[in-house]
Amino acid sequence: MIERLMNLDRRIIFLFVFAGVAVPLLMDFSFPIKPTDNVRAVYQQIEHVAAQKDGKVLISFSYGGGAAAELQPMARALLRHLFAREVEIVAISLWPDAVGLAQAALKGMADEAGRKYGTDYALMGFKPGNSVVILGMGQDFRGTFPTDNFGASTDTLAVTANVQSLADFDFVIDLAAGESIDHFWIPYGQERFKFPLAGGCTAVMAPDLFPFIQSGQLIGMIGGLAGAAEYETLIGHADKATSGMRPQSVTHIIIIAFIVLANVTFFLSRRRSANTTSHQDLA
Amino acid sequence: MIFLRRTFPLILAFVVGVIGILVFYVPHSVAQALERDLAKWFMIIAAFAYFLGLYSLMTLHWTRVRARQPGWGYSLVAYLSFAVMVVFIVYNDGHGPFHAQAEAGGYQWLYLNVYVPCTSSMFSILAFFIASAAYRTFRARSPEAALLLLAGLIVMLGRVPIGAYISDVIPDAAQWLMAVPNMAAKRGILLGVSLGAIATSLRIIFGIERAYLGGGEE
Amino acid sequence: MSRDRYLFGGLILAFVALNGVLLGSGRLPVNWTGFGIIVAAGLTLLLYSFLYKDNPLFKFAEHIYVGTAAAYVFGQYWFGGLFGMVIEPVFMKEDIQAYDKWLLLIPTLLGALMLTRFSRRWAWVSRISFAFYVGVGAGLTIPRYISSFVLQQIEPTLRPLSLTMEGFDVLVILVGVVSVLVYFFFSVEHTGVVGGVSKVGIYFLMVAFGASFGYTIMARLSLLIGRVSFLLEEWLRIPLTL
Repeated sequence: MIERLMNLDRRIIFLFVFAGVAVPLLMDFSFPIKPTDNVRAVYQQIEHVAAQKDGKVLISFSYGGGAAAELQPMARALLRHLFAREVEIVAISLWPDAVGLAQAALKGMADEAGRKYGTDYALMGFKPGNSVVILGMGQDFRGTFPTDNFGASTDTLAVTANVQSLADFDFVIDLAAGESIDHFWIPYGQERFKFPLAGGCTAVMAPDLFPFIQSGQLIGMIGGLAGAAEYETLIGHADKATSGMRPQSVTHIIIIAFIVLANVTFFLSRRRSANTTSHQDLA
Repeated sequence: MIFLRRTFPLILAFVVGVIGILVFYVPHSVAQALERDLAKWFMIIAAFAYFLGLYSLMTLHWTRVRARQPGWGYSLVAYLSFAVMVVFIVYNDGHGPFHAQAEAGGYQWLYLNVYVPCTSSMFSILAFFIASAAYRTFRARSPEAALLLLAGLIVMLGRVPIGAYISDVIPDAAQWLMAVPNMAAKRGILLGVSLGAIATSLRIIFGIERAYLGGGEE
Repeated sequence: MSRDRYLFGGLILAFVALNGVLLGSGRLPVNWTGFGIIVAAGLTLLLYSFLYKDNPLFKFAEHIYVGTAAAYVFGQYWFGGLFGMVIEPVFMKEDIQAYDKWLLLIPTLLGALMLTRFSRRWAWVSRISFAFYVGVGAGLTIPRYISSFVLQQIEPTLRPLSLTMEGFDVLVILVGVVSVLVYFFFSVEHTGVVGGVSKVGIYFLMVAFGASFGYTIMARLSLLIGRVSFLLEEWLRIPLTL
């Protein structure tokens, strides 16, 4: 029995994981979501920007389809908040595969809030180079993005007409699946121009950003789908991230149970082989 | 000829490297303009760098198709998918390739209905394998492994709402773990990696590290 | 082998039939949007067939992904890169000074020279481009990494200690950072005091790796949740509660 448990067919584990995801999605229950300080800091900074006249936020989309399940709900929650508070949004992409996702999120949330392209928000598109794009924007935003993603001149868009450099933004948020927050935005942008910077990242990246929060280089962080759910709670609008917390909770319990089972069988098996060895020694 | 093949690139790397360092410290407008131009040039060269990778990928699949190696049919599928997408790039919803990207059209459609679902699915398969791997290998064989396991379990429970539902201590413990011991270890790693990156950059600028030159005779 | 063929064949037929029902009942719209959802769901299920075993259907979907991904990124580098930064300003814009236009041709030439890497005879020419590219990258990196990752990370580590919870945290952080750095310092043998400090560093690293493991599990499961909710809500049109 112990040997069978230790060598359990992995497809049984797959089935449990799939059931742990699918079944809670179809059910109706919830656990209260308590926002953490790091997520609250991002929310409060946007409220602070909204309280100023003509607040402007730069959102950098640095993720692709592989992280869309975590970061697209986060993007939607942030955009919903920004549009509701009438903050102007300029969006760029440091990843080539982020442009389509940025476009979908911006259009969806703008249509919901009745916001107009060019006046309330703009998508500048993708430029290659990562760190040098930030460096270029830091000095000369129009030189780096002379047109938006669809060919309109930066000078003709109301939302970018007065933007000369990164210093003209009241808040910068990077939604990142890779290392763009800590390896590009902090050393090449925030370090020089000292704008408030926050990161929205995948849960894989989140542990790496804590040193920058403690040092004040990041004012806050939204980590993973759980972070997105916390943000949805703060803005009072439950969406995909909140509904994702049901299967997330259940599958975490399932995986913890499997890990505990694995360790129990491991120790039982070790004790059994120790007993077998001592019996053989006595014989 | 040796000068052009070996010495000149090393001198060039040194000169632009030193300029890259100096423009950070010199606030004069000439230095700032130089930094701006360097950044723009770097962006243009980065665009070409992608085509190196693309050429390698397409050559790999083309070689398989030409030599009729096992699985060459799949390489043909990759080529055909690439070609279909390129057709829509060139068409650009009727505007042609010498126009900014169109808002809609086949290019966007293929992105949202082929590329994004495929990428998401490939990455989401990892959820199954990580669960299976955790079951097979995550054993507390030593005190260090037990500590790793305990930290992982606390964080897994603390970051989802069910943790707070069970007890308020769990999310607080998870938050403390992340903000203090995890943060300290990550900072130590960050310092070490950064010092290494700085040392490597200096070696490149001074011509000690030449691996990036590879290719061609000396 | 024939059992798998029947199994996959049956699943494909079931998929086609199910989509017929969804389209016929009006749950999926009969337009490009509906067709797109069917294509997306089909590719998702083909890729998930790998969980049963590696099979030709998975490989087919995988190679569609490879080709489409390469082309999409090529498109972005074309529109945002080559066209947006070189062709449009040099050949299609009139409000840019001639001097600035010609200046753009230098990085264009350097970029084009990179492609000589593939020629055995002319590969040495690409060294000039790579030297510029790598040299600039290295030069820009050094001062910024020193400032952001060394100085600005050391300062918050050396905060005053106090007999409070915050003071305890500061002490733990200081001990953690120093011990982890000692662990990674391999020029000195890890024995005696150094060995003891290094051991403390290992414990801090184990906590960090455990935390990373927990977050990684969370991340991967989130991706699966995203895919499953797409299949249930957008494809099968089963309403999910928030």
